[in-house]
Amino acid sequence: MAGTGTAHLRHDVVLSVTELVVEFPARKKQVVHAVSGVSFDLDKGETLGIVGESGCGKTTTGRAIMQLESVTSGSIRLNGVDLAAEQGEQLRQARKAMQMIFQDPVSSLNPSRRVREIVREGIDIWGQTREGDVDAWVAEVMESVGLGDEDVADRRPHEFSGGQCQRINIARALVMEPDVLILDEPVSALDVSVQAQILNLLEGLKRQFGLTMLFISHDLSIVRYLSDRVMVMYLGQVCEIAETADLFSRPTHPYSRALLASIPGNTLGLPQASELISGELPSPLNPPSGCRFRTRCPHATDVCTSTEPELVEHEPGHWVACHHPSVNA
Amino acid sequence: MPLVEPGATGAKTETEAVAPIKGGNPGQKRRLGLTFWLSAGWIFTLVFLALFRDILPIRDPDELGIRTREVAKFESPGRNACGGGDGQGRDMFARVVQGARPALILGLTVTIIGGILGSAVGVTSGYLRGKVDTVTTVFIDIALAFPGLVLLIAVRATFGNSMFVFIVLFSLTSIPGYARIVRGASFALSERDFVDAAAAMGATKRRIILRELAPNIALPVLSFAFIGFALVIVAEGGLAFIGLSLDETTWGKLIADGAGDIARHAHVALFPATVMFLTILAFNLVGDSMRALYSPREVATQRRLRVGAMADTGSGDEVLYIDDLFTALHTPNGDVHAVDGVSLSLKAGEALGLVGESGSGKTMILRSIVGAFALADVTRTGTVEVAGVDMLRAEPADIKRTLGTQIGMVSQNPLTALNPVRLIEHQITEPMLVHTSMSKSEARTRALELMQQVGIPAPERRLREYPHQLSGGMRQRVTIAIALANEPELLLADEPTTALDVTVQDQILRLLSDLQRDRKMAMVLVTHDLAVVKGFTDRVAIVYGGEVIESGPTEQIFSNPRHRYTVALIQSMPNLDLPSHSELTTIEGTPPSLVSPPRGCRFAARCPAAQDICNTTPPSTNEASEHWFRCHFPAGDDAEGAA
Amino acid sequence: MLIFVQRLGRLVFVFFVVTFVTFFLLDQAPGDPAERFAGLNATPEVIEGIRAELGLNGSLIERYLRWLGNAVRFDFGDSIVTRGFSSWDLIRESLPKTLELMVFAEIMAIGIAVPLALASARRPGSFIDKASSSTAFGLLALPAFVLGIYMSFIFGVKLGWFPTIVDNLPGLNDDPLDNLRQMFLPSLTLALNLVAVYLRLLRSDLIETLQEDYVMLAQARGLSERRIMWRHVLRPSSLNFTTAVGLNIAGLIGGAFIIEVLFAINGMGRLVIQSVILEDFNVVAAVVAILTVAYVMMNFLVDVLYSILDPRIRHAAR
Repeated sequence: MAGTGTAHLRHDVVLSVTELVVEFPARKKQVVHAVSGVSFDLDKGETLGIVGESGCGKTTTGRAIMQLESVTSGSIRLNGVDLAAEQGEQLRQARKAMQMIFQDPVSSLNPSRRVREIVREGIDIWGQTREGDVDAWVAEVMESVGLGDEDVADRRPHEFSGGQCQRINIARALVMEPDVLILDEPVSALDVSVQAQILNLLEGLKRQFGLTMLFISHDLSIVRYLSDRVMVMYLGQVCEIAETADLFSRPTHPYSRALLASIPGNTLGLPQASELISGELPSPLNPPSGCRFRTRCPHATDVCTSTEPELVEHEPGHWVACHHPSVNA
Repeated sequence: MPLVEPGATGAKTETEAVAPIKGGNPGQKRRLGLTFWLSAGWIFTLVFLALFRDILPIRDPDELGIRTREVAKFESPGRNACGGGDGQGRDMFARVVQGARPALILGLTVTIIGGILGSAVGVTSGYLRGKVDTVTTVFIDIALAFPGLVLLIAVRATFGNSMFVFIVLFSLTSIPGYARIVRGASFALSERDFVDAAAAMGATKRRIILRELAPNIALPVLSFAFIGFALVIVAEGGLAFIGLSLDETTWGKLIADGAGDIARHAHVALFPATVMFLTILAFNLVGDSMRALYSPREVATQRRLRVGAMADTGSGDEVLYIDDLFTALHTPNGDVHAVDGVSLSLKAGEALGLVGESGSGKTMILRSIVGAFALADVTRTGTVEVAGVDMLRAEPADIKRTLGTQIGMVSQNPLTALNPVRLIEHQITEPMLVHTSMSKSEARTRALELMQQVGIPAPERRLREYPHQLSGGMRQRVTIAIALANEPELLLADEPTTALDVTVQDQILRLLSDLQRDRKMAMVLVTHDLAVVKGFTDRVAIVYGGEVIESGPTEQIFSNPRHRYTVALIQSMPNLDLPSHSELTTIEGTPPSLVSPPRGCRFAARCPAAQDICNTTPPSTNEASEHWFRCHFPAGDDAEGAA
Repeated sequence: MLIFVQRLGRLVFVFFVVTFVTFFLLDQAPGDPAERFAGLNATPEVIEGIRAELGLNGSLIERYLRWLGNAVRFDFGDSIVTRGFSSWDLIRESLPKTLELMVFAEIMAIGIAVPLALASARRPGSFIDKASSSTAFGLLALPAFVLGIYMSFIFGVKLGWFPTIVDNLPGLNDDPLDNLRQMFLPSLTLALNLVAVYLRLLRSDLIETLQEDYVMLAQARGLSERRIMWRHVLRPSSLNFTTAVGLNIAGLIGGAFIIEVLFAINGMGRLVIQSVILEDFNVVAAVVAILTVAYVMMNFLVDVLYSILDPRIRHAAR
């Protein structure tokens, strides 16, 4: 599954990630191949979902785009500016247009500060970033995330539930009017009923503020709600990118199919997951040659060992990196 | 070996210093308590005496009793002189007050200088890491290995033993201690998402250190500063005791003077010694009380097992029979009624899904069956019978035997469910060796068998490995193998797949279900995910606010849910049939408090169909029927009512 | 193994820095040992001769390296004060007493702290827990010389059970009873301070472990409380405790000096204090070198012990 290749990229997009590689040093001079040649782009007003299981590199990809991890190679272009070429202060300036929401809503908030300070943090750092009354703008954002009550601003994070904390995080990001909002598993720490609240909120905010979002999650059914397109990752590479409906109705990469079949209930008419995937995730220290999924794939042949598959357009807008794609649903 | 090293007190400094964030105890106001105020009072008195000793009516500490005839040589403490007199008839009280001044000056200046410099070094290296951190840790290593006494002697010999020299020297030696504490705290803090969040906002490193880290480190550092203050007094006293300290009269010197003659005139040493002890104690107590402000409260009190009156017993063929079970956790914030009148029963070969959101009490129902509550203080009343044994009232030995042979348990997080320092082999064979007459080799053979049954490849090798060498899915398989070791009749699975990836979750659920069916075990599957229950259980019980609010055959719960909460829960499940971007059904509001649960229906406050009666009267139900629910206005009745 | 080599390398570096800085500091102290050794009426030539004899000529680095070379053969030079004795002689004479004190104190401390910590952690908030925690807290506020005075006063003066001063200590082999009787109070004083540290450390780690899932599961498997405590709880909880014991052993060799002064034991601590006051710097440097080696070795030993206690560290180290 080596989803290398850039043929699927479009022009005139807000964010364009090309051949992103992120590697971490490990013991004994080994290297963790966290992200290995991932390319995708994000059009204005679009939501791209990135799904995969632990170790697939989805979170590292998000953090690398935010420059929270150092990029080994590849380019990240935001509004046409290559972030990899920028350094220090210029990079900090360029990055302002991206904001991020993290997985743990409580740990994302500094416990010793008040909600007001937290939400205004971006303005404190950058000074007035927009015309007009800043206080009114902050109040408007607080209102739209459902924290309009007067007394909220003076309280501290520990007085709020997980769901409310995630609203605060969202407000803090929105105050900056980001061009791209990266959400890293924003609802996985929350209860089912609260998850639905936050997802509805995000969907509403997307319309209200015209947000462009990168939604990272392990949960396919949640990604499905918010995303216009979905990208499936495995062991640091891309398996498949498609419009959400296409992916769910015609999953083509063997790993995508296994992933979808594993959703409890398996209502998509796929075979049992155990027939689609076997064995355990290989170590990212020493990923398999050729297609990285081949060690667990029922269709693997010699070519999968020798050649890394590139992303190929199977149907319009439906890209798959596999030597033996199967469409029979 | 440094002279002054905060953190040497044995407190787990590095983890404790991070605690302010973990100490989430909202609503509970932390008080400082009487000991704090007594200690603060003692310190204040000491400072007052030291500051104003010249204008207060205190005798001249150097005045010899022989001259004034006021205090006799070696006079015992009493009315004339509260600390007694020393060998030259000097007033001990006045001498001790005199000694307080250098102790306090030294303590204060060293604490401020060492604390600030050490914190600066610590926070910088803990946050920036990399080379800065390596250099700092080597520096700290050297400083801690360095014989402080030698440094002192060399410096003393070169620069003399003035107060200034001592302040510089002590400050220098106290820096590594503070640096180490603050480094640990900063290191842990910078792992937290809010530091990344600030960096993502575009905050500079300087801002992150000053605005994000410093406020969270301030209180721990202040609390350690008091303990560090005491350590300075101890260190100076120790040096004075061996004759290497300041020229001034200090407590250590007074004690050393008296120590030689304690057989005859004990008070000359004991009086300053006691003052010194109380002072150090006071500083430690103030520091400790402050730590209580930010540390998480330790688990409350002793575990007591109180058992209610005799209740009904099961009809006999149930593997699990729970009747009117109440489980209360006693916490500083009040009793949490985690399980509030729950009745359940389960026959051999039956699988029951226990579904609820976090804090609903579903896990506590399982814990109540086995009576394992970590260190929490818990009361259980009602009846819990497993294979006919009363788990609340039977002899402890019988309960233990039932636990070991009739019940197998699988918990949520495979990463914490296995003992990290014991071999897999010992963990699997332990229940067999303890509860059966199996020999070691028999148990080992059986362990291999079990590992094959739960699908662990290369079991021979795995037996000789430790848990961290296995993936999460494999560890959960090991936990299942242990649960099956003694062929239990009842399998309790507490969110067995929540921590696992989705493809692994599927494997583990299938494994559990197959094992349960093959072995005709009764199984309780606790989960927050309704979808998980669907394919794998015969019956479902929905838990909300410590109660089971609806129970019935799995099919019926999904096709004809009656309780309004069940309906909402099913609707808020992600549904793959709905198109993307469609509005999800949510349940507004938050679950009820388990400390003071609502009087009427527990769901009333969040229920769209609630009326007045729901807030006042708990709905009744016939728990004997196959499908029952606690609701005044159940869903599905609307149509019938109209008809 | 690589990590052990790295760690050892770092510790060796620590050793060189500490001994060199000590050497440098002692060199800065005023006074010329050669002059003192030679006496009042010595001619400059005689002093020069003595200087060469004592190894005091040459640059600082030269002298340090020479000293180091000799030190490896346990030749730390002669004592300037105690004529006719080498520094190593003096150390060899005092070290056994300090070691005895240290070993007794550690045994007592561990013997008291471990069972108390186990009993306290099992029932947090119980009487035994509250009592031992408060006592430990009080002990932490008692510096060795204060505690020692209380101990001598109570057990020595008031009750008269033990001597308040160690006088003419017989060898442990010659008269074990008298030896133990004399060493009891100093060891206990030292031990009680350690008890406080160990108890608090171990108790809080035990409580943490007791809340782990695998302990809950062990309870749910019907294992006896004793088995759970010893087999499942104690070992994973003992990492911090091991560090504390290890570093204390190193620290005590030199850190027991107050106890030695108070009870008049002729150990290493007392030796170093006397040498310092009398400016017998060869002895001081020798003691520092030995203490640093002890510190470095204990640090390394703790690392090795860690990896035995916790397989996770063992495998990370491979």
